[in-house]
Amino acid sequence: MNLSHFWILIASLFLGQLLLLLILAWRKQQSNKREAAINSQYNALTDSFSSHMMDPSDERFIAELKASPYHLVVLERLLNHYVSVTKAGADSPAVLRLSEEFLSTRYMKLLKRGNWAMRMNTLYFIEDFRMESLVPQLKEKLAKSSRLDQETQQLIRTLASLNETLAIEALAKYPDAPARLYIDVFKRLDELTKLDALDAALKNETGNQTLKHSAVSYIGMAGMTLFLPRVEEELQHPEMEMRIQALKAILHLQYMNSPSALAPFFESTAWPERMFAAQIAGKLQLSRYKEALGELLGDSVWWVRYSSAEALTQFSEGDIVLTHFAESHPDRYARDMANQWKTSLLGSEQ
Amino acid sequence: MQEVALILSYIVIAYMLFSSLSYLGLFALAYGKVKKENKLDKRESTEDFLRNQSTYPVSILVPAYNEEVGVVSTVRSLLALEYPEKEIIVIDDGSKDSTSMRMIEEFKMKKIPFAVRTHIETAKIEAIYQSSIFPYIRLIKKANGGKADALNAGVNLSSFPYFCAIDGDSILENDGLLKCMKPIIESDGQIIVTGGSVRIANGSTISRSKVELVGLPKSPIVLMQIVEYFRAFLIGRLALSHLNILLIVSGAFGVFNKERVIQAGGYNKNTVGEDMELVVRLHRLLREEKSKQRIEYIPDPVCWTEAPESLEVLRSQRIRWQRGLLETLWNHRKMMLNPKYGSIGLFSMPYFLFVELLGAVFEFIGYFIIFGGFFFSLVDPQVAGVMFLVTVFYGSLISALAVLLEELTLHKYPKVSHLMRLYFWALTEAFWYRPLMVLWRVKGIFATFQKKAHWGDMKRKGIST
Repeated sequence: MNLSHFWILIASLFLGQLLLLLILAWRKQQSNKREAAINSQYNALTDSFSSHMMDPSDERFIAELKASPYHLVVLERLLNHYVSVTKAGADSPAVLRLSEEFLSTRYMKLLKRGNWAMRMNTLYFIEDFRMESLVPQLKEKLAKSSRLDQETQQLIRTLASLNETLAIEALAKYPDAPARLYIDVFKRLDELTKLDALDAALKNETGNQTLKHSAVSYIGMAGMTLFLPRVEEELQHPEMEMRIQALKAILHLQYMNSPSALAPFFESTAWPERMFAAQIAGKLQLSRYKEALGELLGDSVWWVRYSSAEALTQFSEGDIVLTHFAESHPDRYARDMANQWKTSLLGSEQ
Repeated sequence: MQEVALILSYIVIAYMLFSSLSYLGLFALAYGKVKKENKLDKRESTEDFLRNQSTYPVSILVPAYNEEVGVVSTVRSLLALEYPEKEIIVIDDGSKDSTSMRMIEEFKMKKIPFAVRTHIETAKIEAIYQSSIFPYIRLIKKANGGKADALNAGVNLSSFPYFCAIDGDSILENDGLLKCMKPIIESDGQIIVTGGSVRIANGSTISRSKVELVGLPKSPIVLMQIVEYFRAFLIGRLALSHLNILLIVSGAFGVFNKERVIQAGGYNKNTVGEDMELVVRLHRLLREEKSKQRIEYIPDPVCWTEAPESLEVLRSQRIRWQRGLLETLWNHRKMMLNPKYGSIGLFSMPYFLFVELLGAVFEFIGYFIIFGGFFFSLVDPQVAGVMFLVTVFYGSLISALAVLLEELTLHKYPKVSHLMRLYFWALTEAFWYRPLMVLWRVKGIFATFQKKAHWGDMKRKGIST
């Protein structure tokens, strides 16, 4: 190759880039124009949309929407904004009616033919707008999926938001399905369906330990004291992970029917069990465990010492106890920790 | 002499063509993933994590040295972050200005006793403060020990399982942390580090610690740095991350699994490239354990930072970066071409050695030959001409392509005029900006053998407008 060949190569690369630049600049201009038009229509329709949501008999919005060249995108944005800022938005009959009337055909097509990102967005919107009419399409799609990838995970969440318990069965097909997905499903089911699903998960007739862990964990997160006796039973479970989940749930529930069940955990060989026992003793102000907390203040694990000191601050005379330990605890690290918590530290943003 | 110059010319031409093709190959690898996620509604895909109790809490570490101008606005931007549970720890590494005083006054901080776990040894901790307005903001005042030492002190004090390291002069987008944590949560801990994109804030409108309007600066030096960031982040990191062989997560913005970092020994105080060195050490740990855990770059979460506007500061920054790169490659030379470290040892380390480090040496020789060929008949002018064209291809056209690729995928700059300006400035790179970079990077190689580790000496104006 000589110099002229290189000239030709560089010139053609430059011209190619220039062409690409022009195409991208044109595309950007078009997309900016389109975005500006959508924004302007969105702003123009906001008032009539608000009136329609308050009084569905006000048909002005429907007429204006139909006249808009970008009516589907504008409606999608209006509804999405509405459900994200209003408490009852997701369960609003008006949202369901508008989305079913205008968006369901488009979503049906997108679920089948859209690219990955569009299909994901569609699943999010079906969930947000609670579009029940699309359940058959979603089920059909789920039946075809063979991997628990991001799309299948969202598909399962969307089905759960439409109150389909099939979501749990679908997850159970994947042995490595993580607990967070089961929790996502429980979170989305309606109250009655959820109670049945949690009851079945705690019975664990299918032997799915992840499902049972998730159920216990969710009960704690959601504060469902109805299940407290069942959770307390799990404190006797031979498997450590299950006991830890039960301790965590009790910590969240902030109540125990039989506080004596906590005693063995202060001497557990597993430090997370000692830590949760200390945290529960503090949260529930179980003064019978004050002595045990003093001992755990000198534990070999930092987290146990930290939790014990924090627990002691929960008692009415916590300051005095901590001052005493800060001066006279035989363990140097326990004295440091007591000294730190004496100043009633708050740890983090909640 | 002429024969030697001719042979060198062929080597440099071949090298530049090879490097250019490797850039294009790397981008081709990553293009699919970026394009795939391009139309995803980012808000919808992260909003669930915002209300989810399974979202891991994060400690945000802000190492600061003489950052009195920017530290408060950085912390304010962190306060505005959408994230369920976080704590913010600013580490004043013996600043000579009033960094600590600004923090103490602004956030009404009080000195507290604190039982710090010493996972990693650091220089002396002088005091720990806590905000009485926002109890989750803390300040560590410590003796000077360098950025790595400051970060290690932050790791020691942090209470959460993940930490996010962010520079004291940077502003994180509201959902940046959530987007960085999303892959970690979704992978159930299999991803141990994520790094976001760093972008240059000069020229953008920032008010109340938030980027309100993305714009371009007037200074050509800063414009060229924007193009350079596109080239580095879009072409390089995406593909390397895709192959799990990414060796750099920017020190300005990255999220780390704390336990893994402690296992690896924390940040190395004896290098100026502590961010890259830690990532290489983590890779080494993973490979030695035969672990399947990953380190990922995520293009979307963006951290805005102030770029140097003066040549003097830019020069010092680039010398420091090059030195950091060489130190890291030297410290981990055992991994180079070692099959035990898989693709890291066989591909990534040699790539960083030949393309990122020695690239400057090859380009320097290239410029020397062009100059010598045209003015002193060092080589046949025909060969010097080819060298010139290849240099333009390598220096300008690849950078201009990076601008186009940014527009094709992420398109963060809103106006058509932004695209045009960036593209045409990129074309000028080989004629003025790149020779300067090449010179400083070569200097950086020599600097490795001269100086001790220190903080960069960036003169801040502050990025809030």
